[in-house]
Amino acid sequence: MSKPLLEIRDLNVSFGTKDKPLCVVNDVSFSINPGEAIGVVGESGSGKSMTALSILQLVPTPPARVTGQVYFDGKDLLQLSNSELTSIRGKEIGFIFQEPMSSLNPVMTIGDQIDEAIMLHTDLSADARRVKVLELLRLVGMPDPETRIDVYPDQFSGGMRQRVVIAIAMACNPKLLIADEPTTALDVTIQAQVLDMMLDIRKQYNSAIMLITHDLGVVAEFCERVIVMYAGHILEDADINSLFASPKHPYTQGLLKSVLTLTEKQHRLYQIQGSVPPPGTIKEGCPFRPRCPVRMDRCAVEMPPMKSYGPTHVAACWATAEGVE
Amino acid sequence: MSVLIEAKNLGKTFVDNSIRLGPKRAEVRAVDNVSFQIMKGETLAVVGESGCGKSTLGRLLLRLIEATEGHVSMDGKDLTNLSRQEMRQMRKNMQMVFQDPFGSLSPRRTVAQIISEPMDSFGMIRDKSHRRERVAELLELVGLPAIYMDRKPRQFSGGQRQRIGIARAISVHPSFIVADEPVSALDVSIQAQIINLMQDLQESEGFSILFISHDLAVVRHVADRVAVMYLGRIVEIGPKDQIYAAPHHPYTEALLSAAPHPDPTKEIERIVLQGDVPSPTDIPSGCAFRMRCPIAKDICSSDNPKSVEIMPGHQVACHFAAPHPITNAQRPT
Repeated sequence: MSKPLLEIRDLNVSFGTKDKPLCVVNDVSFSINPGEAIGVVGESGSGKSMTALSILQLVPTPPARVTGQVYFDGKDLLQLSNSELTSIRGKEIGFIFQEPMSSLNPVMTIGDQIDEAIMLHTDLSADARRVKVLELLRLVGMPDPETRIDVYPDQFSGGMRQRVVIAIAMACNPKLLIADEPTTALDVTIQAQVLDMMLDIRKQYNSAIMLITHDLGVVAEFCERVIVMYAGHILEDADINSLFASPKHPYTQGLLKSVLTLTEKQHRLYQIQGSVPPPGTIKEGCPFRPRCPVRMDRCAVEMPPMKSYGPTHVAACWATAEGVE
Repeated sequence: MSVLIEAKNLGKTFVDNSIRLGPKRAEVRAVDNVSFQIMKGETLAVVGESGCGKSTLGRLLLRLIEATEGHVSMDGKDLTNLSRQEMRQMRKNMQMVFQDPFGSLSPRRTVAQIISEPMDSFGMIRDKSHRRERVAELLELVGLPAIYMDRKPRQFSGGQRQRIGIARAISVHPSFIVADEPVSALDVSIQAQIINLMQDLQESEGFSILFISHDLAVVRHVADRVAVMYLGRIVEIGPKDQIYAAPHHPYTEALLSAAPHPDPTKEIERIVLQGDVPSPTDIPSGCAFRMRCPIAKDICSSDNPKSVEIMPGHQVACHFAAPHPITNAQRPT
């Protein structure tokens, strides 16, 4: 296998004081290969956004404490200074935020906002950059780019703004694109447009993508591999077909069973009992234990290690490891 | 089955006096000539994208806002012309569950106060101990321990708050509930809990639900019949199974095919609609959907298609209404 593009090792993010830490990301380790589309799935509070933000040091420290290593192209991003990071943010790694309404500057034309990234990272002349901006607008399917380039964000709908955000992220042809819930704020038909467009871009540019979402449907259509997070821990990491066909962790199993589809008719939905624990309430053992249908005594004491179930499938569960179904 | 709610040619135009477009005031046609019935004990789902008028429709049925045209009747009684006092008596029979479990509960009141408010205002509470008894019953009914009744909403998670909102709605034994996106603010694992709860309660209490949602998968699970709205109009309405198996309106078909499918082994042919939903201040002439419609012809820009019954109970407003059997991957099994 080729060398991973991004490798996260033992990432921990915590808030609160030294004596009473609130851990929101716990010992997260995974890697992304060049060109790979990986989905990070989890409910609110699972730590998926925090993981993504810490990759680029976008979590303010303090109040947060971030430890671990994030290797990108051989460099540990967590050790870099702000100026060193500037050459990576937006150039090597692009970021798409969830809220298309608030992630654009309302007093800059969209052309200038896309140009900003190109200006920072290249030596192109103003004319050449404008050509490049128009090219990007066409890439993201903006109708009539020549006039839209000089327009302010408030004149755009949510879907169009998200296209602009994606154009900014793609401006320097990044090796890795991190997309945090890129379609969650959009309507279904607009979500379909944006996902289609992102698939096209991926084919053209061959960027690796880390797609953060709570929507298993989006993951199934977009990604090759899935990481399932829960209360700050990775519970399962598998290629997409293996995960959907035979999920190993009881949480993943429950999620897949309770997800609503357009096709299957169930009389009563499967439900996972209880709700996600607030951060800091579960200090030892497996975080899913209070809601788990197959929990054992051991789960309260020790967090289960990742166990392999095939070449591209790992899960952290004591019960599954012992063959309890 | 008898009719509980009937809407006849219902319409609502909002006028914004602050925006003047030359001599014309800015008008938003939020709901346009909508007619349908809801049977007793039935769930009618209204689906559509943001700005299609589905929430306005729900509020019109409860007369939380006044209609500019048309009538709503409940149990044969026309609500549109009732006086304030008469309407107040009717309100006991109609309740609402809101989308945002964080914004719809007063942060300063206890759960007991929140839940008992509708009962208090209709004089259904005898004394203090009766109140606590009823609140305890209702909390148990929605799956929360009765000891929580003296807590404040901030001590609860989103799903638990939605349970409190549901307890409040059913406290007066309504015959009709408008649920406006009741699960869309919740996580997947919590959505299933709330949907199951609402279905159990509907079975035991027998109320009808207008279920407003943008999520077709949720609607498929909860609805008996489905109404699809686009820019204030119902473009298709019919029994759930017919709508999902063979949508007749091109918009319904596109909506169904756009929803991401949680199964990586199925290849789906997706119809991707071009463009955005037009602004409701500037609705296109003729069929409102024609700008994005893949099969629009000349007639669509001049004539607004009338709703036609193509099968018993299944109506479509399209000049070229035809069955659009969706791809095999999506066909119900």
